[in-house]
Amino acid sequence: MSRVIGELEELILLAVCILDGEAYGISVKKEVERHTGRTILLGAIHITLYRLQDKGLLLSKLGGSSDKRGDRRKRLFRITKKGMEQLRTSQEVRQKMWDLIPQLSPGS
Amino acid sequence: MSDARRSLSRRLADALVERWVGRAYLEEFMGDLEEIYEDRREEKGKFIAEGMYWVDAIHLIFGFSSTASKQSHSMFIGNMVKIAWRSAARHKQFTILNLLGLTLGIATCVAIGLYVYEESTYDTFHSNGDRIYRINQPMIWGDWTEQFSGTGPGITEAIRTDIPDFEQVTRIYFIGEQLTRVTDNGEATNFNEENFYAAEDNFFKVFTFPFLKGDPNTALKDPNTVVITASTAKRYFGDEDPMGKLIETKSSTGTYTPYTVTGVLADVPAQSHLKFDMLSSLTSVEQFKDGKYTWIWTIFGTYGLVREGTDVAALTKKLQALPPKWAGRTTQSIFNQTFEQFTKGQPWTLYMQPLRDIYLASEPGFNRFGPQGNPKFVMIFGAIGALVLLLSSINFMNLSTARSSNRAKEVGVRKVLGSAKTTLVRQFIIESVLYVAVSTVAALVLVQLSLNAFNTIAEKQLSLVTHLTNPYFFGTLIGFILIVGLAAGSYPSLYLSAFKPAETLKGKLKSGFKGSGIRNALVVFQFTVSIALIICTFFVQKQLAYTSTIDVGISKDHVLQIYNIHQLGKGVDVLKAKLQTNPAFTAVAQSGFLPPNVWAGDRYRAEGPDQPVVDLHYMRCDENYLPLLETKFLLGRNFDPANAADKYNIIINEEAARILGYGSKETWADNSPLGKHVVQSFGSEEKLQIIGVVKDFNFNSVKLKIEPLIVMHTDNDKHWSYSAGFPCYLSMRLNPASIKSGDELQSIIDNVKTEVAKVDPAVPFQYSFMDEEFDNTFHEERKMSVILNLFTALAIAIACLGLFGLAAFSADQRKKELGIRKLHGASTGHLVFLFSSEFTKLVGVSIILATPIAYFLTDYWLSNFAYRTPISVLVFVAAAVTALSIAIFTVGFQSLSAANANPAEVLKNE
Repeated sequence: MSRVIGELEELILLAVCILDGEAYGISVKKEVERHTGRTILLGAIHITLYRLQDKGLLLSKLGGSSDKRGDRRKRLFRITKKGMEQLRTSQEVRQKMWDLIPQLSPGS
Repeated sequence: MSDARRSLSRRLADALVERWVGRAYLEEFMGDLEEIYEDRREEKGKFIAEGMYWVDAIHLIFGFSSTASKQSHSMFIGNMVKIAWRSAARHKQFTILNLLGLTLGIATCVAIGLYVYEESTYDTFHSNGDRIYRINQPMIWGDWTEQFSGTGPGITEAIRTDIPDFEQVTRIYFIGEQLTRVTDNGEATNFNEENFYAAEDNFFKVFTFPFLKGDPNTALKDPNTVVITASTAKRYFGDEDPMGKLIETKSSTGTYTPYTVTGVLADVPAQSHLKFDMLSSLTSVEQFKDGKYTWIWTIFGTYGLVREGTDVAALTKKLQALPPKWAGRTTQSIFNQTFEQFTKGQPWTLYMQPLRDIYLASEPGFNRFGPQGNPKFVMIFGAIGALVLLLSSINFMNLSTARSSNRAKEVGVRKVLGSAKTTLVRQFIIESVLYVAVSTVAALVLVQLSLNAFNTIAEKQLSLVTHLTNPYFFGTLIGFILIVGLAAGSYPSLYLSAFKPAETLKGKLKSGFKGSGIRNALVVFQFTVSIALIICTFFVQKQLAYTSTIDVGISKDHVLQIYNIHQLGKGVDVLKAKLQTNPAFTAVAQSGFLPPNVWAGDRYRAEGPDQPVVDLHYMRCDENYLPLLETKFLLGRNFDPANAADKYNIIINEEAARILGYGSKETWADNSPLGKHVVQSFGSEEKLQIIGVVKDFNFNSVKLKIEPLIVMHTDNDKHWSYSAGFPCYLSMRLNPASIKSGDELQSIIDNVKTEVAKVDPAVPFQYSFMDEEFDNTFHEERKMSVILNLFTALAIAIACLGLFGLAAFSADQRKKELGIRKLHGASTGHLVFLFSSEFTKLVGVSIILATPIAYFLTDYWLSNFAYRTPISVLVFVAAAVTALSIAIFTVGFQSLSAANANPAEVLKNE
């Protein structure tokens, strides 16, 4: 897994995993916002979801609707095997780099 | 959710999303938008939810188009930008011409926009600004139909007694130039203070001039107190604390009056119609105690702060009761005239002028206390800015449509592949907006680079940088880009998208000429504007040249004048005697005014029963001044120093003789003004005997007609007037033989300076030359002429860019035609003629159209002058020739290269 993914991409992948089958635009937005405390525009979430799908890290299908949505279906995303691998690689890269820091003595 | 429940704005956003987002993704997007809207509405309220709906919708459209364009049939913005870029890169010449023209146009427009903005936002810093009014009255010393910003102090007293609608009324009093000094450890430093006024103690309750030190409520309460601005404080006291320090002013008799500094103000903002460095308390003004009820001491400015919610129209009506009730006492005691006699039945109207209108109002055109704007300039500039922008937009339209033949095939292919007309329109409009956007950025850079030069010409301190942080400026800029882009792109886009694919693909390329009617009309319009501008510019130059050759009736060359002479007191005679021995001077004389600035006047009448009261200008001078000016005596004689009575006698000009009822030169034999008396129609009723009549000469700007004038002797100590002034000027006629070089002149001036300093070193040395002063009265016109020249050049440049582009296009189109003609034996000269005549015809039509327009404009402008240069046909011919030669030169290059092309090369592909 050589291609590196961006931070937002990683956060969104993680959110899709957490939501486990219930991941669509708004739920992903809320999940990411809850954990990071930032506000993210809906469009940014959508674009990233599609980009991840193009990269083969996500799969999607149109799913159920709710009254709030005016009878419109959601596009539900779930992670692919490749997506899981990408997440793990990102995690490992970070861990390796953390391990390389000689000592943690903030403030000095 | 039914559509009826959705707000209009959300439905509009939906429509946009539906139009721009691919069908495959529409459902989920709309669903998400809907859901998040409901969430937000519950949490944060409808307003925010609505706003965010739009933000999300637009963000989706843009975000989507950048990632998903490959998968969609529709045309997306990202794709359009790419196509625009390719087409721009393919036709570099057109692109550069387009951008250059637009950039010039927009830069002009931005620069003028800055100027107009600056001029129209004066006096906006006062926190009660919307409730402040200046009280104006008629020009009671002349034309009563004119408004005058000078008012007597009595108005304020009357308002305070009779009209409770004002929260405050305050007066500011004009003191004028003062010599001042500060003494530190026994060592005096002298200053010359120009902007020195006196203000009433409630001045700062009306106006917002923040105090750095001192108390605004009490600073101007006591006599002999003064508040100064920060930079004045720095000038006088350096870094020391100025509070409580003494500043002394020198009176005309040489005594000093001390003022205590009771406040330091922040410097007066540049955009203020009140400009002062020092304000003393009004109670310091000696004459004020006795004069505060008078109505004719019009050296004051009166400002009122009305209460919140006052009906100003009703209040103005109320004010009209004041003059008849109060002013009569003044006219009776000073002029011995009743109110009706004084006004001659004309209404003494009081006007309330809103503070923010003062600077740029067309009336009154005079402001004693600071700068006065010129609404005509602002209008002319605004019109030129709009015109230049229009010209460059037209260029853009012309070049785009001309280029259409190159793009006709592209349009045809797109249509065949299923592009809708609207998609194509969108494509071209986006291209046009992009061009405008790029040009605007370039224009901003250009304006920033050239702003210094512009500031020097226009005498302004405009700055672009300060606006760059202003969100409104950006909003305006973006709106501007969209509007100009849409306007300039509308015609080409509709025109191009209307091509029929079958025809264009078959190669029926008549389309290039199909739009030529409108294109030609646009070229004609451009050249009409340019030629009209050229003609106007010529006339402005001609008028300026003419005014400097007008015979003003006096010899204005070689006259050196020095100022502040009255400050020398008795020392004047010493100085005069000394200068008279200087061989560089053929005459030395003292006077109270200097042409072309003899502005004071008063009321007189000829002696005898039932003689009407007339306004006469007056000038005081000694017996040497009229000979120094080389005026011509038509009758009588000059003042004679040997005759003691002469100091109370007067000399008048022809016009005064006429207006006083002695008729003209021809009738003087029967009714000679000599020995007759003129009576001062005010105060002492002093009788003045006429001993001479001089030929009319221009004692004011040659813009104005010669007014009636009486000349009094400087030693006349009986004559009294509010604005008498002091005989503060000394004039020397230079001996032309002794000023052969600039160095000689400089050494003469230095010599005079030394002589003045010998008498009194405290008196500041100031000098001028009379001919330069006459020239200076045309300062504004000269400034305008420079700027007009600049913009005319710009307009021509833009028009030529357009013509050049069109010629290039046409040359390309007619390559084959010209090739075939050449094969059949046409000479190069013939071909050039054939090709150029198409364009010169257009310029010819423009000349015919521009002539009457320019005639009308110049005639209107010239009507402002008393002496006019004749409107000669020659100028029109010259302008026509100029325009034609510029046009031929522009087209010539293209026509030559087209005519010179080798026909074999051109036709080989056929």
